[in-house]
Amino acid sequence: MSDEMDEIWALYLDDGTQSLDAMEAALLAIQGDPQGENSEHISALFRAVHTFKGNSRVLGLGVVESRAHYAEDLIGLVRDEGVPMDDEILDILLYAGDVLRGMLEETSTARADVDPAASEDLLDQLKDKIARCREALGGGVPAEQEAVAPEPETVAEAEVEPVETVDDEPQSEVAVSETAEDVPVETEEAIGEEPEAAAVVEDAPEPEPAPEPTPEPKPVAKPSTGAAKRLIDDPTYRDIFTGMANDAVRKLQAIMGAMGPDYAASNTKARKEVDNLHHASGQMGLPRWVEFLGVFLKETPSNTDEDVERIAALVLLIQEAIETDLNGQSQSPVAPKDGNFFDKLEEALAVLSKAGMDWAAGEEPSADLIKANAALVNEAALEEGLVRVAETALNLCKADDAKSYRDAELRMYEELSAVERVLLEDGGVSRVRPSELLRNWCAGHAFDTITALDTILDRFKSGDHSDAAFSGFSRQMRLVFHACGHHKLDTAGQLAMSLIDLFSRVQTSGAGPDSILMHIARGFVDTIELVFDALEQGEIPDTQNLDALFEQASNAAFLSEGLLTATAIERKLNLPLEFHRVLSPDSVRTASAAIEAGQHFYIVRTDINSNDALAEKFFELISSDLVDSITNVTVFRGNETLFDFLLASSLEQGDFVARIAEIDPSGKDVSVLRTLEYNVETVADMKGNVTPDIDQGLNQGQGLTAEMLEDISEVAASQAMVNHMLSDLSEVDLSEAVETLIRNAKDNPASAFDGIRKMVAEHSARLQEICQVESQLVAQMAHLQEQTVAIRSKPVEVLIRPLEALVETISRRAKKEAKLTAAGGDLTIDVTLMENLRKILRSLITARFNGETAAPNSLHLSFHRDEERVLVTLEDDGGKSERNAIETEELQALLAQSGSDFRQLAVPGGGMRFHISMPLAMVVLEGMVVGVEGVRYVIPVDAIRSIVQPEPDALRRISAGNGQMMLRLEDGPLIGVHNLSKNGVKATSDSEGVTHRRVYVILNAGNRNLAIPVDELLGQQLVLLRPLRGVLRHLKNLTGIALLAGGEVGMVLSTNALSAVEEIAA
Amino acid sequence: MPHNVMIVDDAAMMRLYIASFLKTLPDFKVVAQASNGQEALDKLADLPSVDLILLDIEMPVMDGLEFLRHAKLKTRAKIVMLSSVAVSGSAHAAKARELGADGVVAKPSGTVSHDLEEKSGDELARVMRDLMVAA
Repeated sequence: MSDEMDEIWALYLDDGTQSLDAMEAALLAIQGDPQGENSEHISALFRAVHTFKGNSRVLGLGVVESRAHYAEDLIGLVRDEGVPMDDEILDILLYAGDVLRGMLEETSTARADVDPAASEDLLDQLKDKIARCREALGGGVPAEQEAVAPEPETVAEAEVEPVETVDDEPQSEVAVSETAEDVPVETEEAIGEEPEAAAVVEDAPEPEPAPEPTPEPKPVAKPSTGAAKRLIDDPTYRDIFTGMANDAVRKLQAIMGAMGPDYAASNTKARKEVDNLHHASGQMGLPRWVEFLGVFLKETPSNTDEDVERIAALVLLIQEAIETDLNGQSQSPVAPKDGNFFDKLEEALAVLSKAGMDWAAGEEPSADLIKANAALVNEAALEEGLVRVAETALNLCKADDAKSYRDAELRMYEELSAVERVLLEDGGVSRVRPSELLRNWCAGHAFDTITALDTILDRFKSGDHSDAAFSGFSRQMRLVFHACGHHKLDTAGQLAMSLIDLFSRVQTSGAGPDSILMHIARGFVDTIELVFDALEQGEIPDTQNLDALFEQASNAAFLSEGLLTATAIERKLNLPLEFHRVLSPDSVRTASAAIEAGQHFYIVRTDINSNDALAEKFFELISSDLVDSITNVTVFRGNETLFDFLLASSLEQGDFVARIAEIDPSGKDVSVLRTLEYNVETVADMKGNVTPDIDQGLNQGQGLTAEMLEDISEVAASQAMVNHMLSDLSEVDLSEAVETLIRNAKDNPASAFDGIRKMVAEHSARLQEICQVESQLVAQMAHLQEQTVAIRSKPVEVLIRPLEALVETISRRAKKEAKLTAAGGDLTIDVTLMENLRKILRSLITARFNGETAAPNSLHLSFHRDEERVLVTLEDDGGKSERNAIETEELQALLAQSGSDFRQLAVPGGGMRFHISMPLAMVVLEGMVVGVEGVRYVIPVDAIRSIVQPEPDALRRISAGNGQMMLRLEDGPLIGVHNLSKNGVKATSDSEGVTHRRVYVILNAGNRNLAIPVDELLGQQLVLLRPLRGVLRHLKNLTGIALLAGGEVGMVLSTNALSAVEEIAA
Repeated sequence: MPHNVMIVDDAAMMRLYIASFLKTLPDFKVVAQASNGQEALDKLADLPSVDLILLDIEMPVMDGLEFLRHAKLKTRAKIVMLSSVAVSGSAHAAKARELGADGVVAKPSGTVSHDLEEKSGDELARVMRDLMVAA
């Protein structure tokens, strides 16, 4: 073997020793405090064994890998499935650590895999314990779990690894024999390919609880194994291999130079070099290298000068492969292309994070440990050219107390987050997500940060404008920004950054923040505290004030100088969109002066970027007294960069165009694009109209829209018109008019008839006009109703985020890291209903964590709705709860108040599922209004199949239905007749009660039809459905009530409930 | 020893104005210019000695914010956004700060500000010098 392979094995030994040390340390820590909070130790334990397994795999040590894999699986059950870390597991894992350590030493010395028989006892213990744990978890092994279990590993563990192709190497023989028993079978085709099978398993979304109570067993979460990893992806190994390949090239070139007369000896030397490189290529995971070097090895030397050519051709191939496979990888243009950068930092970051926790707990961590791991991060970052990450890592070593260490750690995570952002956008993957860690931390300490910000603002207020105050403000505000990121509060995050910008500029100017800036900053701090507080309580935060503050921040530069805002000028001049938000305070000042002076405004398009002479002439003009340059914007046209200038001038349009034509007579590169028209008005008037109110309150925000106001005006106008027309009509005394006509006709009644006919026709025409206006009015009202409902509708997503925060908060208190996931967040519901739902879910979730049974680790919410109700399912993996433990008085009151139905059930295999069914509020429904026995009913139009007036013989009584009345329409099937009454919808056998009615509404109800006789049809209309409350809740077959156009109340039929109406029993 | 500056702006005239202004500051020297973010990234790889980058936002091929995102990872150079859309407190300015801009200065009168020196020269010089002191 070459020196390079010596180095690789030495690295394996070194890495393996570290992993097994970490494994042992974690196990001993757990053993020392078995009842303590051991999640960190368990995670460290998992990582250690996982790393050891991976290293063993890449060196083809199948037996070692398989034992580590089983150990990892057992730890995974503890980490992910809630299996308690009992003494038996601790003993088995300590035993596994000893065995693996022995294997490490043996394999490092022999450079070959170990005899599987020697570790059969360990294997049996691991398998037996895993099987028993899984049985206790719910019996059986779900399909997904089988896919990740060690034994049938070929699907689950498709991690790419080098294939041993040198048949005469001892370790490859062992690996092959082991493959049949324990380790995955890797084919040569698999080399270098994406691990598709693994990706499928890992990328599969968390299973969502099924809505019906027939759950599948929950799949066991597969521990993330990260992206496919080859040795060549590790920079250290890559450097070693690159050196080895370059060395081989030099040696082969030397052999070629000395070729002959002893060709055989030279060929043997060349073969030895190539053989070494071939073997190493396999270890590195370079299939192309394995292939072309293998071809060379299979060739029979001619022992002539032809061998020189053969070796020369191979050298060229090696050099080309070095360039493409090795040098290319080390020269990432911007950032690492995949997640391996973070993955290889995983352990070092865990150690550094642990050191931070030690500091926080009052224990000084080992400086050597910090130094060693910070150095690891530093080196890895420098290899990728990530100088800022490298620097921040080293700063950890300078920290001498908890606070300075935490600051250094956060700064390192900020730099790592910046790397992550680029890396992931470029398609990389990683199991380490620095941005999440950073945001989680900042969210968890948000209130401390806000307190610190409050103190700094007080310092500003007392006149402290030192650099320390400004940098402190900037730092704390950045932490708030990360906390906002955690809660997905985009506007708040943006506002935090705006404030950093505003304060930084003030700092540069050497002044202190003025009252406007202080107002915005204080308003932000106060509001964001309320927002975080609301989120922690599981309530929906009021963020409207943040929008107003952000607007103020955008305008602060203008307001501070007593100027109009940029928006005011934009509106005044009716500037095109490309000039939106580009006016600086200077531009606004110049524009305001030009408006007051009554100047004309022009937009001039220029193509002067590559024509210096033209540019010079143009700038001469705009620098002259004739023209004021307000601003200019870039316009991209293909690859060309043009500029549109907004200019003000006292020149009239004709003169101005003439001046522009002097600069560019062709008009091709400089031309007047537009002359802006505006009303002459003083700046003071504009100011009064457009300067935003600095004291806008929390209630500002979405309310009546302009469109709604317009509709309301139209409704009012139509209503007035109807009123006026009816009033006119009511003043007409028809009988008197008829009498007058008859009286005047005297002996010629025929002439009276003409007059009467004409008068009635006029009257009728006026009634028709009123009907038309009234119809218009109804349509306008309906439109208004729809808008009202729309404005009150919000996506359920709004509700989910606070509940996620609530789960995080209360689980953190319980020293857990429970997570809430949700589906159906895009469903929109009325805000009142949303608030009711929030309270119910909050009560439910709190009960799940406060109960005596095991609190859940994961919860899943799903939202659905039908025409009448919103259906919510909450499923978790917590312990089984009794109904009275969940249905507290508070929850019962909430359910009753909202008219909701509630049921709960224990999920086989563990966990609970809760169903909430809540009637929809404020739904607009298109319905047919009918009258039955003086009562108005609304039948949803979607449910009506037809409306008929059947012949009397179409109605018949059938004996099979115990005399039920049926309706047969032509040759169609018999349809059961059902009477509509205050007691609901019922099938009827009363022929007298139905035959006198001639109008039947045929309804589609589920899979069948119902015929409902009605007294009158009052027409179709849009109604606003309100759910039934109180005692009305118990009315059968009804969804709710609606106020009808005539002012009456209509009962709205439930089509869902009608599908369950029974026929008369036989 | 003057600090090395790179100017990144798609407007040729603006690059001239900036370079001309920097000639008035003896402690700064323009060592490179680029007309878009990609060109700047390419040049930066060969110019490790750049101390400060003056960066426009709206540019073709690769805009200033995208450049900032990438360049911040691999250079110690301080980056000052110099753009007409970076009015203080604006969304663009906020985004630039989020991505790690060390300073933000608004061009006084649009993307081509012939009055840069007159209206924003003092502010720009102060920002640049503060950053060099801090470095």
